[in-house]
Amino acid sequence: MKVSVLAQTPYRELPDDFESKYESCVTTPWSLVDTEKIHASFRDSLDQLMFAARSGFDGLAMTEHGQSSYDMVPNPSLMASALAYATDAESLDVAIYPVGRSLGKAKEPLRVAEEMAMIDGITGGRLMAGFPIGLAYDANINNGVPPIDTRARFDEGLALVLRAWSEKEPFAFNGRFSQHRWVNIWPRPVQEPPPVWITGIGNPGTMQYALENGFGFNYFGWFGIKTTGKRIFDRFWDMAEKLGQPRNPWRTSIIQTVCVGDDDADAERTYAKHVEYFFRKAFGAIPRERLFLPGGIALPGLQAIMRDPGDFGIYEELRTAGWQFLLDSGCVIAGGPDTVADQLIDICQEHGIGHLVAILQSGSMDRELTEKNTALFAERVLPRLRELWTDEDLPNHWWPQRLGGAPSLVGDTKKLEVA
Amino acid sequence: MSTDTHATDQQTVAVWGDKVQLRVNVAGSGDPIVYFHPAAGFHWDPFLIELSSGHTVYAPEVPGTSVGDPHAIHAVDDLDDLVLLYEEMIRKLDLGRAPVAIGQSFGGMLALELAARYPGIFSRVVVLDSLGLWRDDMPVASYMEAGPMELPGLLFADPQGPAAAAMFTPPPDPEQAIAMQAGLVWGMGCTGKFVWPIPDKGLRKRLHRVEAPTLIVWGEQDRLVPVGYAQEFADLIAGSRVEIIPDAGHIPQMEQTERTLAVVREFLDAG
Repeated sequence: MKVSVLAQTPYRELPDDFESKYESCVTTPWSLVDTEKIHASFRDSLDQLMFAARSGFDGLAMTEHGQSSYDMVPNPSLMASALAYATDAESLDVAIYPVGRSLGKAKEPLRVAEEMAMIDGITGGRLMAGFPIGLAYDANINNGVPPIDTRARFDEGLALVLRAWSEKEPFAFNGRFSQHRWVNIWPRPVQEPPPVWITGIGNPGTMQYALENGFGFNYFGWFGIKTTGKRIFDRFWDMAEKLGQPRNPWRTSIIQTVCVGDDDADAERTYAKHVEYFFRKAFGAIPRERLFLPGGIALPGLQAIMRDPGDFGIYEELRTAGWQFLLDSGCVIAGGPDTVADQLIDICQEHGIGHLVAILQSGSMDRELTEKNTALFAERVLPRLRELWTDEDLPNHWWPQRLGGAPSLVGDTKKLEVA
Repeated sequence: MSTDTHATDQQTVAVWGDKVQLRVNVAGSGDPIVYFHPAAGFHWDPFLIELSSGHTVYAPEVPGTSVGDPHAIHAVDDLDDLVLLYEEMIRKLDLGRAPVAIGQSFGGMLALELAARYPGIFSRVVVLDSLGLWRDDMPVASYMEAGPMELPGLLFADPQGPAAAAMFTPPPDPEQAIAMQAGLVWGMGCTGKFVWPIPDKGLRKRLHRVEAPTLIVWGEQDRLVPVGYAQEFADLIAGSRVEIIPDAGHIPQMEQTERTLAVVREFLDAG
């Protein structure tokens, strides 16, 4: 199993009554912020990932959230490039993995292709590229994309990025959303091309798209992996089987909040209030209307969700969620090292998951506590997870070659052009 | 909606190089009216029933909002496409004379786009609480971001009144309720393609081209498009006039049907 650490950059000192007064994105008042704390937010986030790299994790991940108090990273390339240089300078062979550069949001997809190619250049071929369709509040509200166009913009943007990375000769791109007379980016990525992952919440159309085009599928598990995991991954592997594709765990990944204590009681004592802070004031304080805008989900999908909202797990209850509830739903996997390792191995084995993207800093956790969590995970959990899937003789096409993967070219990128 | 959308005849008009089968609801007899529906889609309501007693009402449905044909919206990229497609539909209906246009909210904007781009296409224009302009000092509410609890307050002067109940009381059958609710959401998504994120796509600079006599009707308590926009439209459309309907919100013809009918009929009869 490959294990990466995902760090967000939250503002960690929101007031106690925050979730009853404000939303955590779009309109969150900047006046709540003590600007002196901003520097530490960024420094701690970057330091946490460097600490993880030095502790033996396989990859460093970050994502994109505009106008968000729980992750002040409107452009993940900036975090990724700082880490790209720092890890190169220390010869730390880790993947640099922006999991969430939304191409449904991006109005300049060619710039995304260029930025990622630069990161691949700085790291000498350690980039993993994650492209989600896009969060409604970010793509549509923050960036003004009509919700009904998000998907078409994503499709066209990804086609442009992949062609810009792989075509040898300059070409013209005549899209609906982007037109370029000459596309010939400098640099191209070192990898031909970098592994591509699609991050999603389990929408069948998105999973099918990932399977058909040879991309990895990264499940975003904040809705509670114990609540939603079975239905999402059963759906995924059923679909793979219908397409005649093997159950290769390397093509799947989950993002998961994890808290490791000295033992189960210590985990609760140490982390409960910080994790509750995160789910109540961050993810749980995104109103439903920010995630589901008219036009963003096609009519059949809309009717299916109204009949059966199960894909969204315990989302509605997050704003008041307590520790035990978060544990039971799987929103957080926590406990002593063996408890955590046992549960993660069970989940990944049951659902056929080869990559874990662990969130080890939650809500108000400070630098010291985050380091404790990261160190305990590295020393006591990581060695056990590493054993998983080592017996299988399946190639990992979704991991950089320089780091032991066997990435394969993504089919015919021209085929993706259809918007 | 509790009103019966099937109380009209339906015809389809092939437009856009036959890529779109545009559904048009037709009822009544007399001089033609083309009715342009609001953001959530077409509904046959008492206001239209009354108008159809003296006119033939033609009510086209924006591509994608027609039951059973949700993907038609993907054939239409932007507002320019939509206006061209509607102009083609009106020509193909072959109405014999220039019809009256009546447009509600999103439909008001669409009617005015057509009137501005094709002077002579309509004999008269009536808009009810129209979208299409923007002023920073009186922002149009972002209705697509509104939760289900907020919508009645945005749409109605009296969110607890009978008009609000008629719109928001779901049918007892759960499948019908889902179909209705999903249809409203998808309808807003389809029309949202042409007004997101700010419903100002340049109409302001085109309104001087409107030649048809124009009546601007507004609910005094409109919390979605504030009543100040009535005068804003009037200032930009030569020879237009304004009728403000008291005790009504964004849909005056639902909340004050008689009063709204009276001012609209008076304007049509003068033509």
